[in-house]
Amino acid sequence: MGRIIVDGVSKHYADRRGTPVRALDAVNLAIEEQEIACIVGPSGCGKSTLLNLIAGFDTPSTGEISVDGVQVRGAGPDRIVVFQSPSLFPWLTARENVILGPRKRGVPASRYEEDARTMLASVGLEHFASRYPYELSGGMRQRLQIARALVNHPRVLLMDEPFAALDFQNRLAMQELVMRLWSRIHPTIFFITHDVEEAIFLGDRVYVMTASPGRIKATITVPFAKPRSIEVVTSPGFVAIKDQVLRLIRGEFARSDRAAEQAGAERSG
Amino acid sequence: MNDLDPQIEDGTGLRVAPALAEIKLSVAARTRPRPVWLGEVRYTLLSAATIIILLGLWALVTNLFHIPAMVLPSPQSILRHFRTMLLEGYAGHPLWEHVLVSVLRTLTGFSIGVTLAIPLGLWMGYSRTVNAILWPVFGFIRPIPPIAYIPLAILWFGIGEFSKVLLIFVASFNFTVLASAAGMRAVPEQLIRAGTNLGLSRWQMFVSVMLPAAMPQIFTGIKTSIAVSWAVMVAAELIAAQIGLGFIIEDAGTFFRTPEVMIGVAIIGAIGLVFEATVVAIERRVLHWQAKG
Ligand SMILES: Nc1ncnc2c1ncn2[C@@H]1O[C@H](COP(=O)(O)OP(=O)(O)OP(=O)(O)O)[C@@H](O)[C@H]1O
Ligand SMILES: [Mg+2]
Repeated sequence: MGRIIVDGVSKHYADRRGTPVRALDAVNLAIEEQEIACIVGPSGCGKSTLLNLIAGFDTPSTGEISVDGVQVRGAGPDRIVVFQSPSLFPWLTARENVILGPRKRGVPASRYEEDARTMLASVGLEHFASRYPYELSGGMRQRLQIARALVNHPRVLLMDEPFAALDFQNRLAMQELVMRLWSRIHPTIFFITHDVEEAIFLGDRVYVMTASPGRIKATITVPFAKPRSIEVVTSPGFVAIKDQVLRLIRGEFARSDRAAEQAGAERSG
Repeated sequence: MNDLDPQIEDGTGLRVAPALAEIKLSVAARTRPRPVWLGEVRYTLLSAATIIILLGLWALVTNLFHIPAMVLPSPQSILRHFRTMLLEGYAGHPLWEHVLVSVLRTLTGFSIGVTLAIPLGLWMGYSRTVNAILWPVFGFIRPIPPIAYIPLAILWFGIGEFSKVLLIFVASFNFTVLASAAGMRAVPEQLIRAGTNLGLSRWQMFVSVMLPAAMPQIFTGIKTSIAVSWAVMVAAELIAAQIGLGFIIEDAGTFFRTPEVMIGVAIIGAIGLVFEATVVAIERRVLHWQAKG
């Protein structure tokens, strides 16, 4: 459960002057069940655009996306997004945030209350159930978002730079948490990040994207079996993969810098 | 300064001559945190002092110089008149009745206005179609000061209760409808996405996400409405009333009874404050989550 197929998907936006922006261009992906797929790439290459299409917040200009063979039409609790920016409901307590989805969908109270307790405990927030989001730290809020996502038993978890705003130690703890939760629940995870080490630690595959138009430039398969412990990041195999990914990204940055320079030259010339 | 001068090492690891070191020390002494003089209480005391000084000046001026009571009565004469008003009422009605009538008029118009305006405003903010249909009406009405309707209201509905309540209704309705619509439009896209993602139906989204998210702006509208309603009530009573606080100040003014005018104004101010404080207290409770991000 949770096989994502992205088939020839393009997404075009029109900017304010009406010039089309090719945010995504003929992207193909096959993410297997229970796989963790990490996406890295320069800012503006269309990572969030792709995630929003899989989530169903938006529709592709061309191509098709399906999950378990069913075409994506609109958002739903089988594909839950963990956002980078605040998306918890600030007027609800931690517990109320977690149970909102199942409660509104008519899940019996006995079940979602039990689920919510388990989920809050598994992200270490069991003692903060009646706190409001503004009373939680940044890391706690992201953990709460994860609990709110998992309580819906999603087949797919879509995470858009969920830990980008956290400090290094917190980020490590969160990565281990994701690994731990995955080994218990086995959802398919689509994970966007700027942090190469995070991508390789979590990912079965790391997809490197290129900018304008947004494309998948390379796919790196990470051979370590899951669940992984954080020590893996210092192993020679890990370092070699990191080296490879960094080189791909650096090439991509150089390319997008040149493109920007060219665009600048054209504008001033 | 040469190498033979005695040198002192200060905390910053810089070597400084003694004279300089002394200057640094005295600077440090001056920037040391000030002793907290009576803490927070001192601001309250300062405010109280302002009030006492103003009252004192007033008493001094009115008692030392021969200022006609019609221009500026002394504090003790105000107190005397206030006592008389409390005991004997004004124009055949006890004082509390004047207050009650004004407050009831205001609250009637205000609560009907707000009750109708919130759903309509939310609907306008939710549906672009509804907004397109209604916006020209409210957009045109918005900049018109509610007091400007008083002559029309009297022409159409006479000088009875209905006219006054209607004016107050119009004023509070206008402010609340636009604030609610704005609140609805300002619901963060991210929260709507989170709601859709959790599988909420349109109605559930409205009740559980959009309404609470719009609450801060709705409250801003309510706060403006209660203040404006009170002001409009006074204005309406100035023109046509036999009872009420607006009537008192208008009537007393006509007969040059300055103390009664001033007492009326003071009561109007005090009740305005009570209204505002009540709404703010409710807002604090309901919107506690707004405290921070
Ligand atoms: N709603 C929109 N309207 C117009 N252009 C858009 C819209 N959303 C995204 N874009 C454009 O599409 C491109 C890809 O945007 P996207 O947000 O997917 O990038 P990203 O890879 O997530 O970047 P970042 O790493 O900075 O989050 C950008 O050029 C952006 O300006
Ligand atoms: Mg993004």
